[in-house]
Amino acid sequence: MVRRGLLLPVLLIIALAAATPVRALEWEHPGGTMSLSGYLQAGAVLACDRHTKDEDPSYTFGLQLSADLGPQASGFIALTGRDDGTVMAPQDGRLFTDPHGVYQDRNPCLNVDEAYIDYYTDRADLRIGIQKFAWGRLDEINPTDNLNPEDLTRATLEEEQTRKIGVPAIKTNLYTDLINAEIAWVPFYVPYRLPTSEERWFPPLLIPPCCIQPRTLTDDIPLTASYRDVERPALTLAHSQLGMRLSRHLAGWDLSASYFRGYDPQPTMRAPTLILIEILNPLAFDYTARAITFPTPSLHRIQVFGLDWSTTIGGLTLRGEWAYADGKYYLRTLSDVLRREASPQREEALMRQVIERYLRSGGSATSQTILVEPQIETQRDSMKYGLGLDYMRGETTLSLQCIQEYIPDYPRYEHLYFNKKGLDTTLTLALRHFLLQNTLELTLAGMYNIEYRHYLVRPSATYRFSERLQGTLGLIVIQGKFEDSLLGQFRDNDQVYAGLKYSF
Amino acid sequence: MKGKSTCMKMLLGAGCLLIFAGSGWGTEPDAYGIVRQSRDLMDQARDSVAEMTMTLVNPKGGQRLRKLITYARRDEDGRDKSLLVFKSPPDVKGTSFLVWSDPEGDADQQWLYLPALGRVRQIATASKSESFMGTEFSYDDMGTHDIDDSTYTLLKSEEIEGVGCYVIEARPKEPHSYGKMILWIRSDNYIPVRTDFYDLKGRLLKQGRFSRIQTIKGIATPTLIEMENLTNGRKTILELSNIRYDTGLSEDLFTQRQMMRGR
Repeated sequence: MVRRGLLLPVLLIIALAAATPVRALEWEHPGGTMSLSGYLQAGAVLACDRHTKDEDPSYTFGLQLSADLGPQASGFIALTGRDDGTVMAPQDGRLFTDPHGVYQDRNPCLNVDEAYIDYYTDRADLRIGIQKFAWGRLDEINPTDNLNPEDLTRATLEEEQTRKIGVPAIKTNLYTDLINAEIAWVPFYVPYRLPTSEERWFPPLLIPPCCIQPRTLTDDIPLTASYRDVERPALTLAHSQLGMRLSRHLAGWDLSASYFRGYDPQPTMRAPTLILIEILNPLAFDYTARAITFPTPSLHRIQVFGLDWSTTIGGLTLRGEWAYADGKYYLRTLSDVLRREASPQREEALMRQVIERYLRSGGSATSQTILVEPQIETQRDSMKYGLGLDYMRGETTLSLQCIQEYIPDYPRYEHLYFNKKGLDTTLTLALRHFLLQNTLELTLAGMYNIEYRHYLVRPSATYRFSERLQGTLGLIVIQGKFEDSLLGQFRDNDQVYAGLKYSF
Repeated sequence: MKGKSTCMKMLLGAGCLLIFAGSGWGTEPDAYGIVRQSRDLMDQARDSVAEMTMTLVNPKGGQRLRKLITYARRDEDGRDKSLLVFKSPPDVKGTSFLVWSDPEGDADQQWLYLPALGRVRQIATASKSESFMGTEFSYDDMGTHDIDDSTYTLLKSEEIEGVGCYVIEARPKEPHSYGKMILWIRSDNYIPVRTDFYDLKGRLLKQGRFSRIQTIKGIATPTLIEMENLTNGRKTILELSNIRYDTGLSEDLFTQRQMMRGR
């Protein structure tokens, strides 16, 4: 990996901050106002754990152009460019991020975060283009918010709106005295994004074991992985996605009910596997075997019925969200899959198949390939709900959340990832304190899972040197008792990070 | 709503500074009459719009600028509504803050929209005496107040910068974040020029000053407001420009829909 320097971009950012006058980039045009804003950011990571992948400095820029297009219309474009330190290989000379691929590197790349046109009337708004939605009331984890897939190339370290991938959609908002309605239609599927398998934040759970240990056969079977990208659904109406949300404010309560029908934005996988067998001595049944598995993102259509609300009581804000997911798929644990797929009965049937082929071929079929498709997914309806509480006093804001997923018909003899015996309970904390007239911002973010006993602690400090220049220093600590838990798989990814951001 | 401050307060985003300003309507004005008259003098508009430059000054003189647009309106039912939209600096651009006062005097309803979150968030403040978004104005300063909630005493008359002023003490009837306020109101035109804020122990906390008076549509309007915090040496300066009254702002402007549009 080529190491990149950080000094030059940092000097450039400081020079820009010193040289540019503090004024907005705005122009008047016949239709109204046009404004350009954006940022330039440099970041560096110091990995704390010995057994972890390294990360180069990263450089990011963002541009947002907004324009009034007359009294009833406006347009907005947001672009992000990255040369990202998590990347190991260039992305085949493409300029833009591939909107149809799951495994993305970002070295360098340009991404259209949003690009849409708004049209306003007295009682309705229409938005057409690439856009992000923000449904629900909880922070970071929103069971009712399913229209946008997420960019997980840095796991979930980026902020929620940054993680979201804009989708092409037509959205209309209708405003009546009784209720407000938002209806969104996404004509074609855009997948979530994962880093490539060489990168620091590639989920270790997607890396198969180095070999399969058969129950009845003597030798282990070496296993390698070849990651396949998602197979896109056809561009038909049946594969489009729909969301609807009704909202109203009633006696101090903000209330919403929502419905989503489309592809589950959470990653699940298939793992078709080829077993290659070479018969060396048929009389002694001497053979060698190896296997190649092809982890492939699998897509499933789900329905989600949701409710969310918020209100204030005294000095507290209460927020709640509930969702029922119909037809959701979960991944079975590796040990569970191997227990079923590598059973003596399955092995016996497999070998019988090999021998029969060999005999039918008259002894010529000494090399055989067998395709198996282990059942690593299972379908279960589920509920996910949470309660949040905010307390604000002066320059300090405290948010606490409890979010739980419940699978009513959890399979008694199976084990699923990220849900233990039907429950998965996460507690979150976000503490923010401003000092020095809002120039210094101290934050402490934390997450703890009760069932898996994994946690993430993320303290950081951001200092605003001027209106345009700010620097951040932070620490990420991830620990988990179990390697196969959501955070536990990243427990070797503790890091200190620093960033410098120039905004205009 | 009888006795409540409305659009002028919300326009300035500095509510109670002006609520207690006024003048009497007799030949011998009493303190309450002065306050009421001044309030009525400056609170004639049904709605208002203004551009605001907010300068935060630290004890060493370092400055940070924020630019906002403020909208204010009083509904038919007496509910005061205000919307603040940040235009700069870049890291807060698009942030908006919506307040609906309660005509019955209960707690205000407040919402905050942060573009980085993409969601409108209902917020509650534990203590109204705390700073509003890093300024020397408190949430209480930004809220609505009934002038009948305080008692007023005319202390004396004195000159400030060569102009004769009534000096009036205002004491809240119910427990409040301030123990008392001393108001300086010009005796010639009943425009407030200064307010001192004291804590419950009688210590001087903050001084508010109003200047650059402009008469817009017949309404006397201070366009420069300075709030100095004497406990930490910091100051917030509000400069108002392009002030417009009674432009017919729609009720629909003061909604979450408009917060997200950031206009």
